[in-house]
Amino acid sequence: MTRRRRMIFILLLVCAGLWQRPSWAGEVLQFRLEPARVEISAAFAGAQVTATGSMSEPGDLVLKVAGPLQDVSLTRKTRLGPFWVAGETVKVRGAASLLFLYATAPVATLLSAAEQQKYGLPLEGAALRIEPQAQAPDDWRGAFFRLREQAGYYREHPGALKLRENGQFSAHILLPGDLETGTYTVETLIVNSGKVVGQAHGEFKVQVVGIEYWIWNAVHDTPWPFGILFTLAAMLLGVVLSAISYRPR
Amino acid sequence: MELFLPIAHMDVNIVLILLYGCLVGFLSGLIGVGGGFLITPLLIFTGIPPIVAVSSGAAQMAGTAAGASYLHWRQGNIDVKMGLVLLTGSWLGAGSGVYLANMLLRAGQFGNVVIFLYAILLGFVGISMLIESLPAVLRAGAPAASPARAAAASKSWLRIWVERLPWQMAFPVSETRMSALGPLALGAAVGVLTSLMGVGGGFIMVPVMIYVLKMPIKIVVGTSLFQLLFTTAAVSVMQAGVNHAVDPVLALLLILGSVFGTRFGARLALRLPAEKLRLIFALVVVAVAIRMVVTLLVAPGDVYSMTIELR
Repeated sequence: MTRRRRMIFILLLVCAGLWQRPSWAGEVLQFRLEPARVEISAAFAGAQVTATGSMSEPGDLVLKVAGPLQDVSLTRKTRLGPFWVAGETVKVRGAASLLFLYATAPVATLLSAAEQQKYGLPLEGAALRIEPQAQAPDDWRGAFFRLREQAGYYREHPGALKLRENGQFSAHILLPGDLETGTYTVETLIVNSGKVVGQAHGEFKVQVVGIEYWIWNAVHDTPWPFGILFTLAAMLLGVVLSAISYRPR
Repeated sequence: MELFLPIAHMDVNIVLILLYGCLVGFLSGLIGVGGGFLITPLLIFTGIPPIVAVSSGAAQMAGTAAGASYLHWRQGNIDVKMGLVLLTGSWLGAGSGVYLANMLLRAGQFGNVVIFLYAILLGFVGISMLIESLPAVLRAGAPAASPARAAAASKSWLRIWVERLPWQMAFPVSETRMSALGPLALGAAVGVLTSLMGVGGGFIMVPVMIYVLKMPIKIVVGTSLFQLLFTTAAVSVMQAGVNHAVDPVLALLLILGSVFGTRFGARLALRLPAEKLRLIFALVVVAVAIRMVVTLLVAPGDVYSMTIELR
């Protein structure tokens, strides 16, 4: 190989290297989610999404998973003589259906309260609206977050994010069986000396597929024909099964 | 074994739901009730949203009642004439009940009215039947006239009043003659309850048909199911149309379980004496009433509860 040919070959290799260089190569933090789509079908009983990536800055990591917004009703029981009856009911709107925090250490030890608030990290600081305006909104907010945490939808997993020496990390996001469909956002933060020094965003989708998707569409898009046909089918099924099992005495 | 419910949007244990269906079907076949008063609380207890539990329960009851009505029709246990009069009344009552439910919802008292209605009605019906049927079962060895005839011998003031009303009509299958206003009023009362409580009303209809209308118990069971079939079918269609809340997977599982339960219930009903059937019915109703009263009296672990709104 002549010197000129060698130079052209090296130049081509450099060009190829530049061509393949990923867009995030200059970023201090990058990660990807696998799978990018969670499919809910008949056998769905929960799923695992794995976040893997690397960071070029030293520090700790925080990963926040937020589900699509959801409206819920909150009811407070009250005493009526000897009976406990349902009292006031409010609607809680615009709250995330799921909030998970994964971190290399408890978030409270990594960031000040102000920094946590700035990045929307405290589970009990999540935005929501209470309608109608309740007399003691803090009580309702407290109840909302407590019930969410008890049900396992709002949870912090300190230490669940594993960071290796070469700056690579991974976290297994375990999703429950009762999942809201829609887009789930994943925010990852590098924390160093109480400050966020790097940030990256990702998302994955949760959607119903197969016959469940078809049923959901039929129930919501054509409710009356569905109601009539399904009720008739249910009655027919009842008669057919009874006729099969009936033996004249 | 878990299965995802597309409308309730959650996964449930298939065997558990089939067992619920089987239990309710057994009661349907045995004592002629749809089991709405039992299946709705069971499903809610499993974590299914209340509106999906009520709506899918109605679809299941329509399927179960169709199957059970078929069995009773084959055995000649349905008084179609009586069933149609009851049905006319129940549809009129259900229409009025929808407006009443709307008024209560606006006043924010719907939930409380429903739970007190459940506790009071179930308690009253169950205890009344228990008081009547327990001595009859204990006396079972002694020779006596058939229980239905014995019961018919002692006419209540309500029965006498029904006999004096206009629009007298013969009901040959039930071997009785009475004013059509009696079953019409009964149907209307049950219709109101269907709208308010999401139940077929069998637990009210069956005792009134036995004790007030003095119909033979086997005809009562078949006729109650026949009437229930049309009422629950209407509720199922309306819940699907208005609230999009009928989960077909859940309803189908319940129907599959209930059809087999119904078969055994209907067979047992043919073998058991009437007073024992009434005692079983009374015990089931009293058990549910006690459960509801306990729920009302015991302080909840958390006074707050959360319901996810369906989309």
